[in-house]
Amino acid sequence: MSTRVLTPRGTSPVGQTIKVGLGVLAVSDEKGKGLTALGLGSCIGVAAYDPVARVAGMVHVMLPDSAIATVPGPAGKYADTAIPALVEAMRRAGAEPTRLVVKIAGGAQMFASGGGNLNIGARNAIAVRAALTRAGLRVKAADTGGTFGRTLEMWVDDGRVTVRAVGREPAAL
Amino acid sequence: MSTETAGPGGPSAVDSLTAAQLDALREVGNIGAGNAATSLSRMVGHPVAMTVPCVRAVPLHHVPAAVAGDDEAVIVAIHLGVLGDAHGHIMFVMTVDDAKEIAASALQGMHPGDPDLFGLGDMERSALGEIGNILTSAYLIAMTTVTGLRLEPSPPQLGVDMAAALIGDVLTDVAATGNTALLIETEFEEVDDPVCGTFLFIPTADGLRRVLDGLGVAP
Repeated sequence: MSTRVLTPRGTSPVGQTIKVGLGVLAVSDEKGKGLTALGLGSCIGVAAYDPVARVAGMVHVMLPDSAIATVPGPAGKYADTAIPALVEAMRRAGAEPTRLVVKIAGGAQMFASGGGNLNIGARNAIAVRAALTRAGLRVKAADTGGTFGRTLEMWVDDGRVTVRAVGREPAAL
Repeated sequence: MSTETAGPGGPSAVDSLTAAQLDALREVGNIGAGNAATSLSRMVGHPVAMTVPCVRAVPLHHVPAAVAGDDEAVIVAIHLGVLGDAHGHIMFVMTVDDAKEIAASALQGMHPGDPDLFGLGDMERSALGEIGNILTSAYLIAMTTVTGLRLEPSPPQLGVDMAAALIGDVLTDVAATGNTALLIETEFEEVDDPVCGTFLFIPTADGLRRVLDGLGVAP
């Protein structure tokens, strides 16, 4: 049983829930653990689960394309590098890529005319879906777009996924 | 259980600031925030104090909690882009309660408007946007005086949601050029309220180079 977290500088997992922050990629096969991307705005949280091997993976994508990077960053930061890195990290943890059930959330527009980047949420959603297609994966469920933040949570035991948002009831995805 | 880091997280100007550069940034933040506090005092009709700016380079995934205490903390954030000779972002971050208090002072008895999901009326939202505008203009005018750079704010935008969602959106602009964000951060304080808001200037990597150059402490 192990949990691996890939972060820009290293994040220490605390308690039962592993925080998957901006640009972070985490994989776990530990029973009782949860993976959580807190407060996804324009970012996309990608949750993948192998129901046979019971391996869970999550990545918190910030930007669509690593081609614009001027300094090396963690693979999880960009859609085009995050998806292959997620699949590979899960495969190494014992998951079979063809069995992965993928769910995504986020990609909102938090400020009316764009905060850091114009339409970055929508562009992230398109880029994540494209990268998943290239990896031969399809999206089983998605909760993207809109103008509100979301928290994406997945449990290692059974791969169940919930989305929380301020002022809404938590919903299964 | 193991923790791994992915890649060297390449160096940028943000990661290698000298003590002299940090001092210069703290000083320019101090002058900017001083001017902004004076404007805010005038708008709310009572004295607003400020702390000496804190200048720190924070890994991107730690920024929302570093600013708001928790990734999921519900905040009011007024965002303005900084354009002109040096690019960056200004954010004025408050709790919903503090935002309502500040808006009420500025509205001086005017009706707050119909409350939204967070209890903020449209008049309150509009007043907060205007406060963001006034604070930022005052901050940038002081920065221009010190650096000689021509700096202009974009129109203010207000967001109310989880800290990570709002701050993460703004950080997308600095994420491509670094794995850390430089925060030049001042807290505003009222007599009866230890902290009423956090004012942040986050320069882009290129914006930071230009500010340092304007301050005569270029890398």
